[in-house]
Amino acid sequence: MGTLTLLFHLSLRNIVRYRRRNFFLFAAIAVAVGGSTLSNSLIRGWQVDMLETAVSGLTGHIKIQAPGFADDPSAQNAFSYSKPIVFGEQTPILGFAQRINLPAVISSERETRGVSLVGVDPAMEDISLYRDFEVEGETLTGPEDGRLLIGKMLAETLQTKLGRRVVVIVEGADGKSRERGYRIAGVFEAPMEWSEKMLVFTGLTALQRTVGTDDFASPVTELSVVLQTDEDRVAARDELIARYPKLEVKDWRQMQPQIAEIVDLVDAIMVIWFILIMSALTFGLVNTLIATVMQRTQELGLLRALGMNQRLLLIQVVMECVGIMVVGVIVGLLLGVAMVFGLGDGIDLAAFSESVEAFGMSTLLKPILTIEDLLLFGGLSVLVGLFASFFPARRALKISPLMAMNR
Amino acid sequence: MTEPIPQTTAATPVVQCRDVQRVYQQHSVPVYALRGANLTINAGEFVSLAGPSGSGKSTLLNVIGGLDGFDSGEVTVGDIDLGTLNATELAEMRLNNVGFVFQAYNLIPVLSARENVEFILQLQGVASEERQERANTALQSLGLGDLGSRRPGELSGGQQQRVAIARAIVTDPVLLLADEPTANLDSKTTSELLEVLQELNRQQDMTIVTATHDPIVMGYTSRQVAMMDGEIQQDSATAA
Repeated sequence: MGTLTLLFHLSLRNIVRYRRRNFFLFAAIAVAVGGSTLSNSLIRGWQVDMLETAVSGLTGHIKIQAPGFADDPSAQNAFSYSKPIVFGEQTPILGFAQRINLPAVISSERETRGVSLVGVDPAMEDISLYRDFEVEGETLTGPEDGRLLIGKMLAETLQTKLGRRVVVIVEGADGKSRERGYRIAGVFEAPMEWSEKMLVFTGLTALQRTVGTDDFASPVTELSVVLQTDEDRVAARDELIARYPKLEVKDWRQMQPQIAEIVDLVDAIMVIWFILIMSALTFGLVNTLIATVMQRTQELGLLRALGMNQRLLLIQVVMECVGIMVVGVIVGLLLGVAMVFGLGDGIDLAAFSESVEAFGMSTLLKPILTIEDLLLFGGLSVLVGLFASFFPARRALKISPLMAMNR
Repeated sequence: MTEPIPQTTAATPVVQCRDVQRVYQQHSVPVYALRGANLTINAGEFVSLAGPSGSGKSTLLNVIGGLDGFDSGEVTVGDIDLGTLNATELAEMRLNNVGFVFQAYNLIPVLSARENVEFILQLQGVASEERQERANTALQSLGLGDLGSRRPGELSGGQQQRVAIARAIVTDPVLLLADEPTANLDSKTTSELLEVLQELNRQQDMTIVTATHDPIVMGYTSRQVAMMDGEIQQDSATAA
């Protein structure tokens, strides 16, 4: 222990001794680690955003539909239930919403567009993107509300506005078309452009009256469930499958497999990105550390001449290298955390909205930093330091005690 | 494991070299640094290995101190046969039995004078309190009691070499090896330093071997070994 303390003191003083050179080393490490921390927090933010966007769209963590609806989304493939929905112990929910979600055609005096007509109970929709809408005019008052809520971009496309009437054509549960006039109660703006262009909302009960039949008065096309955490997803899905064997129960990963794959890839991307940056840094680090050892050949030879064995010399060189790395990494992590806090409000990507939405993201990218990520970066950095110290240490081991005799 | 060699009495051999050869390869051409050197140094002797550059004096000193290997022959320090030791055992032998004083002082620049002296004791695993006490004693014996907290860069050449001697003797080695210890010092400081070495030899019976080509140094030693072309040419006692 005493010898290790001695080596620690020696290492520390040697780091301070070459303070100018080590300052630049610290700075290089700190910038690399800080930059990696920031970029990885943005990547993590992207991952979380994709997950949240996937869930808080109209999908939820789990969606229950009638068999065949995914292939043929018509009211004929809707379902209904007479008993209240019950969730078991494996399904700790944040909320759920039943809806009718059907393809429809909406026409103003000037334009016609294909949309998704969604019948909702507004009180149940605090689990979906509906809660984030900024509405001009009025929101839907309840499931009985027979007016429409349309997106701002759709209103612009249709060249219509708040208070005007539009006509919606949708297929009923009997396979026949229903055509109905609706008044626009509100125009909403949403974080995701596609929802402004594609979604049209009305009251669930009102829409059920429109598309339902005498025999099938309360059709529902989907029941969206949002859980307390994504970790409960598989158990909850399995429980719901067992509980409703005649319906199709899928989780968001099954419904949006591309997003799921990207979310999975992100963890690997973060580590690969970090290793790439640190690898580039390692070359510089190794070069400088070897130069340090070469510069101190006589001094290290002296240590050997005085009786320090190779193992202790190795430990001393590794301590110095890792010491430099640890200080640089700590400063870098602090720098990274500061930059992440500096970007607390996120980066507005509205200018690239179409591109980012193609990746399932919202237009506001918020960096997310987790303790796990910080520990991962810190741990990997120290490993890089250990790896980098191998080369100067190997060089130091070749130093003969005779080097102490150099004059 | 090379344990410290017990302190010996006069006329007991501390160093024995028999037919020691050391050959270096320079561009595939063999260069004989030592050609069958035979030398016995008894406890309490103050020996100078003298000769011009390339005579082999420093090589012999390095071989005796376990800093350099040899190609044939036998070298023993106390009862330790250096030819049988690996690098780690040689390091341990140096740590426990040999004190070194180098021409370029070779103090560790980031440590204070006291810490430099304590350094070897720390490597030996001596407890903190005893370490400090022994380091202070060594520094005071060399007139450096007040300079213990100074770094080498804050000391004169003579003071640095005294610290180096303090570092070399603080472990009570059986052998003190000094390679051109005064080469970087002025004549006054040289004399002072040699008196210190002579005093160590006379009062503490410390066995000292120094490589030098300086006649002043030779004048302080009790025995001169003259070398030339890797061979011992003359071995004689002096009046010192």
